[in-house]
Amino acid sequence: MTGTATVALRRHRDRRALLLIGGAAVLTLLAALWSLGVGAVAIPVDVIVNTLFNLDGEKQTYIIMRSRLPRIVLALMAGGALALSGTIIQAVIRNPLASPGIIGINSGAALFAVGMTILLPTVPQTWLPLAASLGGLTAAGIVMLVAHRRLLSAAHLALIGVAVGFVFESGVDYFLITSSDAERSAPLIWLTGSLWGRTWDHVGMSLAPLAVLAGMAMVLAYRLDLITLGEATATGLGLDVGRQRLIMLSVATLLASVSVAVVGVMGFIGLMAPHIARHLIGGGHRLLLPLAMLVGMLLVTLADGVGRAIAPPIEVSAGILSALIGAPFFVYVMLTTASEQET
Amino acid sequence: MSLSLIRAAAAAVALSATAILAAPATALEIEHDLGKTEVPDAPKRIVVLEYSFVDSLAAVGVAPVGIADDDKRDSIVPAYSEVIGDTWKSVGTRKSPSLEIIASLQPDLIIADTSRHEAIYGALSEIAPTIVFDSLTGTYEVALKAAETIAHAVGKDAEMAARLDEHRKKMEGFKAGIGDVSDLSIQFLIDNGRGIYLHSPVSYNGSLLAWFGFKSNMPAPDGHTYPEAIVQTSLEQLSEIDPQIILRGKYVDPGLIDSWVGLPLYDNLTAVKSGQVVDVAAHEWSRLRGIIASEVSGANLVDVMRQLRD
Amino acid sequence: MSLAVRYALLAAAVLIAALLSLVIGPRSDVGLGNILHLLFVDDGSLARSTVVDLRLPRTLVAGLVGANLALAGLALQAVTRNPLASESILGINQGAALGVAIAVTVPSLMIVNLDVMAIIGAIAAGFLTFTIAGGLTGRLDSIRLVLAGVTVGAFSFACVRFTFTLEDNLSRLVLSWVSADISAVRLAQAGPLALWAALGLAASLLLAQGFNILSLGDGASQGLGVDPRRTRFLGALLAAILTGASVAAAGPVMFVGLVVPHLCRLWFGQNHRHLIPAVALGGAGLVLLADAMSKLVRFPYETPLGTICALIGAPYFLIAAIRARRMA
Repeated sequence: MTGTATVALRRHRDRRALLLIGGAAVLTLLAALWSLGVGAVAIPVDVIVNTLFNLDGEKQTYIIMRSRLPRIVLALMAGGALALSGTIIQAVIRNPLASPGIIGINSGAALFAVGMTILLPTVPQTWLPLAASLGGLTAAGIVMLVAHRRLLSAAHLALIGVAVGFVFESGVDYFLITSSDAERSAPLIWLTGSLWGRTWDHVGMSLAPLAVLAGMAMVLAYRLDLITLGEATATGLGLDVGRQRLIMLSVATLLASVSVAVVGVMGFIGLMAPHIARHLIGGGHRLLLPLAMLVGMLLVTLADGVGRAIAPPIEVSAGILSALIGAPFFVYVMLTTASEQET
Repeated sequence: MSLSLIRAAAAAVALSATAILAAPATALEIEHDLGKTEVPDAPKRIVVLEYSFVDSLAAVGVAPVGIADDDKRDSIVPAYSEVIGDTWKSVGTRKSPSLEIIASLQPDLIIADTSRHEAIYGALSEIAPTIVFDSLTGTYEVALKAAETIAHAVGKDAEMAARLDEHRKKMEGFKAGIGDVSDLSIQFLIDNGRGIYLHSPVSYNGSLLAWFGFKSNMPAPDGHTYPEAIVQTSLEQLSEIDPQIILRGKYVDPGLIDSWVGLPLYDNLTAVKSGQVVDVAAHEWSRLRGIIASEVSGANLVDVMRQLRD
Repeated sequence: MSLAVRYALLAAAVLIAALLSLVIGPRSDVGLGNILHLLFVDDGSLARSTVVDLRLPRTLVAGLVGANLALAGLALQAVTRNPLASESILGINQGAALGVAIAVTVPSLMIVNLDVMAIIGAIAAGFLTFTIAGGLTGRLDSIRLVLAGVTVGAFSFACVRFTFTLEDNLSRLVLSWVSADISAVRLAQAGPLALWAALGLAASLLLAQGFNILSLGDGASQGLGVDPRRTRFLGALLAAILTGASVAAAGPVMFVGLVVPHLCRLWFGQNHRHLIPAVALGGAGLVLLADAMSKLVRFPYETPLGTICALIGAPYFLIAAIRARRMA
């Protein structure tokens, strides 16, 4: 193939990718609008518009502006953050089944957050993101320390991550069962990944950190591409693999931990969103990261909306619904993808 | 009287009337478990998230517009619905009420439970001023105090004072009817088919029974967290505690205890041997926790003791 | 040390663990001094009733659950040729828990009884894990298997945790159930478990040689005229059934199927014919010990069995994962 043909092909692929990204953005917006209207109190579109833009006519100010809008904004933020986190981790660990949960982040964040709620009940909830981040970093830190010490392969690192995750999970269960009770729902609901009772305060807590981290993730796109080529190749191209891996995993950990702090454990976004995105456009992280982020946003927003619409006033956790919505697609992708190469 | 004097008087009256009408409605500052909150004067639309608060309102003849009834309308017993009527709306479960439904009711006061709703206190406060009391793990005395504060918040101090007077008289009457039980150990427990849960001396029922003069064989715990108030117990542990009277509230029928009949360890419990295991209404005893509810329990106990003494 | 002596020592350890489980408890009239007397002599005392009606069923259930789960774990490890496989790591335990949680929360969906629901959940979870890991198409990718299992397990458990957020009574039921609380088991529940254990043991012994051959690799299997897929399928089915039965009786108990086969291999070698009885004994012993601990840790309150096993098993899994050399 001649040089110009290759360039043309790439341009075509890029254009297609950009279209997909645009389409995903539109879909996400529509999902968010739909989500504003569903729930225990169904609200028609004209009322939504009136409330949002402060026009004359019927409004539902509390429900839309103070209950659903912060939820949806949070859903978008968490979905995007988890998707970015998952994409990075899948690139670093070079296994399609990797996710933030895999290197124990979710469990670590959950343990520290639940631990804080139970052992230090007087500390206000605004400290939760910090506790969760510490937990996530601890868990991921243990994993990376062990991997580094023993010069483990990516696959082995994932295994350690799974094990660390289990250890922290047992801690969470221990706390839940012995110190808490079935009547206090907050830690329990939160553990399944839910946006119940979220307010603008929660948005405020997490907006700055997540925005900064998301920016850092995008900047890492090129280096992510290099790492997926394999350690030898990456080093050959001048990349300090060890150090870059550390930076990337740290960003991924923080993204996931802050999400966990505000919405609880949604273990499947970080797994499914990158997959779906890769299935749609594959390859370069420069375009993969934004698409994955949008897919994550879409999934969580839809999940939250559906969770409220199914059986009002009961709310089915967004965490579980996101898994249910994405699972069939995920299984399909798994079945049709040839098993990946990993070292 | 001269015209100018009449005009001056009229002006004075008009001015003071305007001043009075223009003055902002006085608000009350209510102190509760999570701090101090300003509550509007004589709130009209109240949402309550625990049964004991329904009890407090019913005791002074106030009807809430929204109740967290665990999605079961008949959990609001006739003793309450007679007073508050049937027009209230369900806002979902006590554990996770629907914030949207609460908001759609446009309340001017929300009453919530400390341990259950602490996490959403912020969200609730955005809808309406929210006051919070310990219903779940509070004692009988705490429940009465909360009722008083709630009455103050809704502007029914006089009615509550009268009601509490009446309550005390009734309860003293029940106490007399029960008699001297200072050497009788009693235990209230809940049977949900899979486990039994004993209500310890720091629980509502534990403290209520202590008020009536009974003694308890359960050790008094240090704190009053939920697991210390409502203690899951095995048959073996129950045989160690061995109360003389067992008040049994079953959530399922047959309960777990029914499967123990025939086991020597169960049959040899003091209460079982002397035929002093009495079934009481689980929902009324365990979940309601208030002025009216404790009177129902008191009347129950008088009947029970009369039966047992025959 | 000959094989027979090792078995004897293991059996002795199991008996000691059983005694501990029987002796520890809130009542003070049962102790090491009179336990044997109480077991075999019916003196009509309350202590005798405590032992026979309350503690013995619990001890039996603990031991049988341990044996079943250990056998299940061994089968899974043979079938996947992965020493880190176990019913908790492949999500089978959690799937069974989900089956029961569904039955408890939505009684109209219950098929036959809880046992069957648990087994259905176990099989469904196992099937999903294997499918995602590429098991149906051909070669089983080792790390992919573990990751798939963790995913399936996490998803099942998330659904179970969701039921905690429902109405008080329901959530309390599911919670007590999921934490594997065996403090109120009766002798009648030990019966079916014993049956499953016996069948499981027999089936495992029949498959023992097949497991041995599997570990040599697919090529060797075909060379010896054994169809590896049939053994794999039967082994996985056996694991699912044993796990489901245990979960239905006692709730999900984690990591037994990982820890016990590991430890037994150190002492009994790789031959499945020797391993199987050892693993059954070892599993019983481990869970009996955990049961004794569950009564001691926060005396006089009990800590559910499932929590104790998780607290033991998870760190063990971590250490095993760190030291794992063979990944495929």
